[in-house]
Amino acid sequence: MSMNIKDMKVLVCDDSILSRKKLKDCIIAIGCSEVYEAADGEEAVTRFKEYHPDLVFMDIVMPKKDGIAAVTEILEEDKNAKVVMASSVGTQSFLKDAIKAGAYDFLQKPLDPEQVKRIINNISSQGGN
Amino acid sequence: MFTQFFGNYLLNENLVTPEQLIDGLQAKKNTRMKLGVLAINAGYMTAGQVETVHMKQSTMDKRFGDIAVECGFVTSEQIDELLNQQPQGYLLLGQAFVDKGYMTNAQFEDAIRTYKEKYSLTDEDLNEGEDGKSSVMVDSLIDLSSTSNPDLYKEYIILLMNNLIRFTGDDYTPLKPEFNLSDNSELYITVQGINNGFDVDTALVADEETLIQFASRYADESFTEMNEYVDASACDFMNLHNGLFTVNMSNEKELELKLTPPSTKKGINADDHGDVIVLPVQYPFGIVKFVITK
Repeated sequence: MSMNIKDMKVLVCDDSILSRKKLKDCIIAIGCSEVYEAADGEEAVTRFKEYHPDLVFMDIVMPKKDGIAAVTEILEEDKNAKVVMASSVGTQSFLKDAIKAGAYDFLQKPLDPEQVKRIINNISSQGGN
Repeated sequence: MFTQFFGNYLLNENLVTPEQLIDGLQAKKNTRMKLGVLAINAGYMTAGQVETVHMKQSTMDKRFGDIAVECGFVTSEQIDELLNQQPQGYLLLGQAFVDKGYMTNAQFEDAIRTYKEKYSLTDEDLNEGEDGKSSVMVDSLIDLSSTSNPDLYKEYIILLMNNLIRFTGDDYTPLKPEFNLSDNSELYITVQGINNGFDVDTALVADEETLIQFASRYADESFTEMNEYVDASACDFMNLHNGLFTVNMSNEKELELKLTPPSTKKGINADDHGDVIVLPVQYPFGIVKFVITK
């Protein structure tokens, strides 16, 4: 079962207002209309519970709660959640931590809009939760 | 990185003044290479021969290449080769200085020759791209032997120079490093810590106007005043650069570094930062200083 890209709910978690804006613009340009934002790991978990997005983009280095801890909590809330790490720190240990925590994919910053598009297309063709 | 360090070299040798350097950096992107400078750089013609051709050009309606071949200074094959060359950044910078009258062809010839000698650069090194020999150039810029881990500091600085080109443009020149920060209530400072095996604080320092320009380039926006997006751009640049550093260290040295969230504030208290290396970088719009604790 597939899901229309325009019906997809996406949550963008990044402590940088600039990074959120750039990624949000990119996601809207791809065709999603419901895009929510969170500025740290704690807010990410709260917003996830509030909106139950179909896809989450998650930075790693953030205040209050880092992205790895936030993914872990989100997966505890919904084991089918699709969380894509989008971070500049794609080190071996963070890649491992992200996989262990249950992340769906890992994008190294600077983000390539084509990769963002590929992920949204994949989620769309797999259908919603 | 040749272009950036060539500017630093010209400045250190007092071949251009800081004002002329800024002017040249600004003019570089609209500068068109002239055959004479290319021929000098390739070693096909001397500056004197180039002058001779220019003089003849003023009396007859012929192209530079045709006159140079007629005079027997070069072959037509060499001219074709020069015309097909992709101009290198450091040559464009040199051409900009010659065009503006800050250097003569002879001074430029001399500067290129001594610059290549100093760094043992062959023409092949130059043609291979701008990345080769970066280690030698950083060595010439700064002595890192007093730091806890000279290799890592060097890798950090090479990556910084490359990331500045990649994310903000190639029209900058690294200036002479400094080893202290002063108290200043007007400057902005964006700090990010690296830890877990290479424990340092890193920072970006600039005045308001310069920070706005730097942020505009990085974010590809036209910011006109200090706001949260300018602040975020400075944080983003540091986070991206430091992040890419952690990725390289993880892949090359099995060092699993971590970063703290970056933040920007106005006003510097030197005591907060301890022993530091300060790398000032001259852009046409101002100086951005990059700081790393020793």
